[in-house]
Amino acid sequence: MPYGIEALNVYAGLACISVPAMFAGRGLDQDRIPNIAMSQRSVGLPFEDPVTNAVNAARPLLDRLDEQARGAVEVLITSTESGLDLSKSVASYVHEYLGLSRNCRLLEVKQACYGATCALQLAAGFLAQSATPGAKALVIATDVALVDERAGYAESATGHGASALLIGDEPTVLALDGGAYGCYSYDVLDSARPTPEFDIADGDRSLFAYLDCLAGSFADYQDRVDNADILSSFQHLALHTPFGGLVRAAHRMLLRPFGLSAPQVESDFARRVAPSLVYPALTGNLCSGSLYLALASVLENSADLDGSASQRIGLFSYGSGCSSEFFSGIIDSRSVAAVRSMGIGDQLASRRELDFAQYLDLLPHSLKALVPRQHAEVELGRWSEYLDADRSLLVHTRTKDYHRAYEWHGPLGSP
Amino acid sequence: MAAIRRSVLDIFPDLDPALVTEDRSLQELGCNSVDRVDVVAMTMEDLGVSVAASDFRGVRNIGALATLLRRHA
Repeated sequence: MPYGIEALNVYAGLACISVPAMFAGRGLDQDRIPNIAMSQRSVGLPFEDPVTNAVNAARPLLDRLDEQARGAVEVLITSTESGLDLSKSVASYVHEYLGLSRNCRLLEVKQACYGATCALQLAAGFLAQSATPGAKALVIATDVALVDERAGYAESATGHGASALLIGDEPTVLALDGGAYGCYSYDVLDSARPTPEFDIADGDRSLFAYLDCLAGSFADYQDRVDNADILSSFQHLALHTPFGGLVRAAHRMLLRPFGLSAPQVESDFARRVAPSLVYPALTGNLCSGSLYLALASVLENSADLDGSASQRIGLFSYGSGCSSEFFSGIIDSRSVAAVRSMGIGDQLASRRELDFAQYLDLLPHSLKALVPRQHAEVELGRWSEYLDADRSLLVHTRTKDYHRAYEWHGPLGSP
Repeated sequence: MAAIRRSVLDIFPDLDPALVTEDRSLQELGCNSVDRVDVVAMTMEDLGVSVAASDFRGVRNIGALATLLRRHA
């Protein structure tokens, strides 16, 4: 029985800033914007954190399930490099505010931007041995940005948001190719979050490790899957997208052994890879949610999928530190319809665009989003202009004795 | 050095090959971060050598890169 993603939604915040505004504000070289191949990045608000992002991504998926299907969610895994506590998981809050069954297993995983992919594979393995017919797992990749001018160009490429994946045996969005995967991992300090207040990154080393891992994990995939080759086995490719320019370089590297001309490489990129970059170019890097935003982007933006028979997509997940996996699955026009119904593109378009001064005003709050505090109140009134009365969202309101509290804003109330 | 020069010229066909010297950095030749890893990856492929990402720490110019790659040849 095939397992995979039954439903997929992405929440990428309520605010964004254009990359040219970021570059102008920081006095960066505007000529380099085409290299990062991004137009906007999502920006977090003071009432948002990894919990609200996760819940706001997942609730629209759960609202579509009947009571029996909701009860069949036997596992909740949050994947985050934005943990709130060294012991208590983000999943424990998410479980509560999504109203999941008390009989559901909970877990938080951390493996930088690779975490959600490993969680997807573990969840599929768990479901394959579950005795419950129709059992499901919910995997949510959720993160916030902790970057300011110290991050240089990476500040403009770092996003904010969450991708929620409902996993089960009716994999409408992506049916995993069972046994078709390749992994490649080793210790390197290319980028990291050593404290809850800032990130460190060695750009060159991280890009190198990404490409090295892509080559290594695809070679492992080829060892496991007879006759697989990057040019003809996959009609689509979606790669972890820290910024579009790296994905372009990765594609160039993968095709180098085939000796194609530059226009041939470009045409292959436009057809098989470019659709994956449309949404990531509007949000910045969502960490381990990034690959699943790229998958949604392929499904909504590839002209090849409408009304077509099933097609194979190759996916590459990379997490700094580092660990990686190349895997594959099957998509078709039903996948397109399932993802399109979530309205991800409309939600990205509805974000409020900030100017650089507004961004700077929010930045001190964003940088403190993960700092443990015994007591805190979020001044919701000060930021209420960002909340739409018609949209139901979870917001962070206060912290009491280190316990974060949240409230539902909007018409729906608790699930 | 010849392999590094080939990789740089592959990415920047219009560059004067004489500018690819040991004392210059790839950055000075106009390579952005993606170009730099491209040059390194292509050169390693060309030479059939493999160097771990962490070993590039402290490589500041093309001469140092050539020395590192030679050491792994």
